[in-house]
Amino acid sequence: MIDNLLLGFEAALSWQNLGWCFVGVLLGTVIGLMPGLGSTTGVAILLPLTLAMDPLTALIMLAGIYYGAQYGGTITSVLISTPGEAASVVTTIDGYQMARNGRAGAALAIAAIGSFVAAILSLALLIALAPPFARWALNFGPPENLALMVLGLATIVSFSGGSLARGLAMACLGLLLGTVGVAIGTGEARYTFGSVDLLSGIPFVEVMIGLFALGEVLHQVRQGAEAPIRARFRDLVIKGSELRRSVAPVLRGSGLGFLLGVLPGSGSTLASFIAYGVEKRVSPRKAEFGKGAIEGVAAPESANNAAANANFIPTLALGIPGGATTAVLLGAFTIYGLQPGPLLFEEQPRLVWGLLVSFFIGNLMLLVLNLPLAPAFAQMLRIPYGYLYPIILITSCVGAFSISNNVFSIWIVLAAGAAGFVMKQYDLPMAPLVLGLVLGPLFEKALVQTSAIGNGDLTVVFASPIAVTVLVLAGLLAFGPQLWGLVRRRSGRSGGQGGPGGPSAGAPAPTPAGVA
Amino acid sequence: MKTSTRIAAALSAAALGVGLTACAADQGGTSADGSFAPSGDASMIVPFSAGGGSDASGRAIAAGLEAATGTNVVVENREGGSGAVGYSYLLSQEGDDQTLLAAETSLSSIPLSQDVDFTATSFTPVAKIGEDATLLVVPASSPFQTCSDVTTAAGAGSVVVAVSGAVSLDEVVFRLIETETGVTFDRVPYESGGEVLTGLLGGQVQVASLNPGEVVGQLESGDLRALCAVAEERYTDYPELADIPTATEQGIDVAFTQWRGFIGAGGMSPEARTYWADAAEAWTQTPEYEEYISSNYMQPVTAYGEELDAYLAEYDAQLATAIGR
Repeated sequence: MIDNLLLGFEAALSWQNLGWCFVGVLLGTVIGLMPGLGSTTGVAILLPLTLAMDPLTALIMLAGIYYGAQYGGTITSVLISTPGEAASVVTTIDGYQMARNGRAGAALAIAAIGSFVAAILSLALLIALAPPFARWALNFGPPENLALMVLGLATIVSFSGGSLARGLAMACLGLLLGTVGVAIGTGEARYTFGSVDLLSGIPFVEVMIGLFALGEVLHQVRQGAEAPIRARFRDLVIKGSELRRSVAPVLRGSGLGFLLGVLPGSGSTLASFIAYGVEKRVSPRKAEFGKGAIEGVAAPESANNAAANANFIPTLALGIPGGATTAVLLGAFTIYGLQPGPLLFEEQPRLVWGLLVSFFIGNLMLLVLNLPLAPAFAQMLRIPYGYLYPIILITSCVGAFSISNNVFSIWIVLAAGAAGFVMKQYDLPMAPLVLGLVLGPLFEKALVQTSAIGNGDLTVVFASPIAVTVLVLAGLLAFGPQLWGLVRRRSGRSGGQGGPGGPSAGAPAPTPAGVA
Repeated sequence: MKTSTRIAAALSAAALGVGLTACAADQGGTSADGSFAPSGDASMIVPFSAGGGSDASGRAIAAGLEAATGTNVVVENREGGSGAVGYSYLLSQEGDDQTLLAAETSLSSIPLSQDVDFTATSFTPVAKIGEDATLLVVPASSPFQTCSDVTTAAGAGSVVVAVSGAVSLDEVVFRLIETETGVTFDRVPYESGGEVLTGLLGGQVQVASLNPGEVVGQLESGDLRALCAVAEERYTDYPELADIPTATEQGIDVAFTQWRGFIGAGGMSPEARTYWADAAEAWTQTPEYEEYISSNYMQPVTAYGEELDAYLAEYDAQLATAIGR
């Protein structure tokens, strides 16, 4: 273990590797900033340029792009409500409100700090326990994934804003939109109306760019641009009290993100949604969520970074992709003449440990890069919003186009933008719609696979202890406070004062503890 | 404030207009009389997402063509609809001499199973650069020792197999085995080879059909075992795979090969077709090509021009009988 770490440091600390690590995280940050252009595309585009490099150097740089993008994606989410990465959608909810309240600097800083802490914690776990975690993750078959999707959907309660009915309606709309495209299993095209572009479904990255970025622009145009925010530089620096509030959310987010990231295929987007949902449930300040709560930035940002790192566990320990970006990286292994698989740790110790150690170095670079830059980036909001409109529109459309080189993506962005405007006018929450659209196809896949395994009998879910545990957690997440209120009334105490919000602080506290 | 809002709105609209026009602009291929030479960049469409086998082969071919011609060959991933989106895009480039597409079995299997506007003959085949087959693999702890064990068990009860798509190569393989032996498999649908591998390692499915390049790491580590190769011959060129018997040796007379190569748009000029085929042939003489083939455990079987047309016609017919509806 110590020998391996030393070997890793020896390998990663060469000038060449340090230099390319820096290039990678810098490029990753820029790629994360661009809406639509995510880490998967970024890594795929830059892959050919690394062919002449030493495999370790190349992988260090490509991995740097991956986790660098997790940092970069936050910046535009917070400043202009334009999620740069799918995993940053949730951050827009409270991050953008913080920016409107003049706390953009704090939001960006806590995102960087949370991401860093999450990275270090998850790396420590990765280094110590990658193989056993990878074996554990294999227990997540279709029934367990189905339960996990139910847990994801249960977070709708947290994303609904004032009205649960509106939240549920939007989530259902998202699920319905998620049924468009070729059905898994049968291969039939649904609701495509002969359009080839719709065969792969309604792409959620484009929808999310339209809803959040364009919807906000149209909303601002309609109500008259808001005054630019003229915060003094020192007001943009994060306060000690904000840091203290964020400790627990960062730790919870890291734990949840790590556990979800280990599971092959679930990735960092789901982790960020669930972390936000859980955080809102357990936070003593749940009323502030949606209005600029720093916890609402700290938890999902920690979770998406922890998940990004944990994604490497199945990738390195078993040779199976943890998510979309690690799938591209697995392809890169073959191109460099390395055989990914369970023997990688034994056959290529210098490569594996050098890569893992480079994560430490890269995340440290990102922290050093992002902390001072946070107030600087926040200064961007001094620009009158009117001048930002065209920039947001162009980057949104170019970003959408770059996803699949297809003009169809731009139409989706525009349509979603119009929908986002209408939803804002009628105060309909947007996050549940995105959640439904993201989870819908995953939910359906798990459902179809579970049904295939059980020969049409879905009760096989209850035969799996893991699935049952996850379902119980989902139940607690959705109905925890109500149940707790019931228990307290039964036990004779005069509970219930302060309504459903009152006792919730303590109620589902066992939830994250049980999960972590 | 009113005016500034209006100006901003106008600016936004203008910006959007510029963006759309810029995006809609397309590079045009030109062909001179007599001989063809590309003008500007050529593009290589990959109809699947980055990271998969098709992406790897598309990028390798593009790099090879670049080296052979000195022209930039830009790789574009146009994924979706199990490949249908990319092929449909190529269909819209009718007559273009510089838009290529990294093709394989899906060229025939998509039109056979999905409602699309193209058939296998809508395009101009340029080169086949290699062949790939599949192995039937099981977890190390599986009771199955041979492929006939699998079919016997399927005949007596049920065997759960993984398929990575409604018309994927593994679906074709299982369909062929079913037709040959008269048994039926229970299928669990997945969406990629990586997911299938995960399901197999986790014990959620009993048998999967995967390309050797996708599983060789898990075979070497002993986590998975290969029962048979669904190929005409054993992998004698690859020592780590040479001991795997063919399905035919085990009494199941099924062999199915996937081809990899690239095609051009329909109506591509004969000069351009020859130009790209010559470039591909030049690439197949290089060490880079050998490296590509061996690191993916493929067979260096190539075909160009009329030979390729004949190969594809026969291939299409074979697929149609196997999975046609």
